[in-house]
Amino acid sequence: MNSSPRVEASDNAQRANVAPFQVRGRFFTAIVLQMARAPDTAFFDAIDTMLSQTPHFYANAPFVLDLDQAEDIGPSFDFIGLAREMRNRKVTLIGVQNGTIEQNKAALHAGLITLPSGTDVLPDSRRHNAVPTGDDKSKPVRPTNENKNQGESAPIESRIRSAPSAYSSGTALLVTEPVRSGQQVFAERGDLVVVASVSPGAELIARGNIHVYGALRGRALAGVHGDNAARIFCEALDAELIAIAGLYKLSDAIDPSLRRQRVQVYLDDGTLHVEPLK
Amino acid sequence: MAKVIVITSGKGGVGKTTSTAALGAGLALRGKKTVVIDFDVGLRNLDMVMGCERRVVFDFINVIQGDAKLKQALIVDRRLDNLSILPTSQTRDKDALTREGVEKVINELRSDFDYILCDSPAGIERGAHLAMYFADEAVVVTNPEVSSVRDSDRVLGLLSSKTRRAEKGEGAVKAHLLLTRYDPLRVAKGEMLKVEDVLEILSIPLLGIVPESPTVLSASNVGTPVVLNQGSNAGAAYADAVSRLMGEQTEMRVLGPERRGLLQRLLWRTA
Repeated sequence: MNSSPRVEASDNAQRANVAPFQVRGRFFTAIVLQMARAPDTAFFDAIDTMLSQTPHFYANAPFVLDLDQAEDIGPSFDFIGLAREMRNRKVTLIGVQNGTIEQNKAALHAGLITLPSGTDVLPDSRRHNAVPTGDDKSKPVRPTNENKNQGESAPIESRIRSAPSAYSSGTALLVTEPVRSGQQVFAERGDLVVVASVSPGAELIARGNIHVYGALRGRALAGVHGDNAARIFCEALDAELIAIAGLYKLSDAIDPSLRRQRVQVYLDDGTLHVEPLK
Repeated sequence: MAKVIVITSGKGGVGKTTSTAALGAGLALRGKKTVVIDFDVGLRNLDMVMGCERRVVFDFINVIQGDAKLKQALIVDRRLDNLSILPTSQTRDKDALTREGVEKVINELRSDFDYILCDSPAGIERGAHLAMYFADEAVVVTNPEVSSVRDSDRVLGLLSSKTRRAEKGEGAVKAHLLLTRYDPLRVAKGEMLKVEDVLEILSIPLLGIVPESPTVLSASNVGTPVVLNQGSNAGAAYADAVSRLMGEQTEMRVLGPERRGLLQRLLWRTA
């Protein structure tokens, strides 16, 4: 009687050691069908032709419908029927993107998910506080009348959160060697990360943020394509010039108490702020 | 396999030629077959500092242009027989240097010598570029003052991008810092940069600290590499630098400037 609870306890402990599952992130490639209009017989004929040409390529591939141009797909559209038709062709619909609220709702009812149009999102819109504006070239901002709608905020949120996957590999530029006087490094697609010191007379330019894990003694220009939300971060600020979206500060204008400190630089209300990092 | 080492700085007057002569003589003293090449076409200083200006018949440019054989242009030092000097022309300018010509000469020297030291001209133009282009290692001569440090930094950037090693992706040219004209008293007064400050900006390993010393100037004037003057602090500092260049671990000494007593100063004039 005495021993059995102990056995049970050790059993539980053993089971607790082995997690029932582990969470892993993975990226999959889905095929997007850009719908010109609601599917009709011509649509299915075209699908059949496409599948017959390269049957192995499309077999078991997840398909996503882009509804951006298919305005005639209304709230009563039969997504279930479409999904069945596609499955008969060994094609699996998993979701829709760029739909209106009504379209998304109908798709959700049919068991499809609404996906953010990740690949179309430019790095500019990734910040949480970024309010999509007119000059924001990222696609996800649908017609403005929808923006006023509370319901629209959810898809926008999710788009912003998912956007980094679209640029994380490839748009950020990593520099591991010291940036010497007279050298210029330009990250034209996104962030610039320097894991070394930046010498006086050197110049860092980035479309996005600039991170320097070392002393920043040269010039740093972030958000050069007009991104007001870009920031500069460094381990020791000793810069000759810092600029965000064209607004700059020379070394003389930087508070001497911030010299050689870990700081971040950002734009707020049209002024450049230099703030120590805690 | 010969090592090609460029002695460079960007800025003028920091002691490239003096250092080339001292390091070259120091390596020869340690039994290494060494040749020093003057890339400062048009000015020609190295042969004077090495004390062989009267023995120049053919020069580097003659060899590049095929007017003379390399053996005819090389001058063997009178004091150290494993030290040779390849002087340059005073009548030509840097346009006379060609990449192919320099490559041919350096390749020919590789088979006969352990160390090939290239004395770069100041600046970052053609002469300096060709002096560093074929280098395996670099000695960046820097004075403890801001403009020299800035120029050295610029040169380090070029070493990592505009050399054959960099272009062929064979790894960076290994750069060493040689801090010259260092005066601990002036550093203490805040008139000169500290060693740590220079190292922090340039972030390359330190090869040596050569103190400001009157023996350096007088050694250049009489054409004797300062390393041959065993008693001087500067000579000792160069000897230490040579050991490190050969890969030996030597404790870094900051030698003070040489101060002379009144009697010595009076005697110095006649020395």
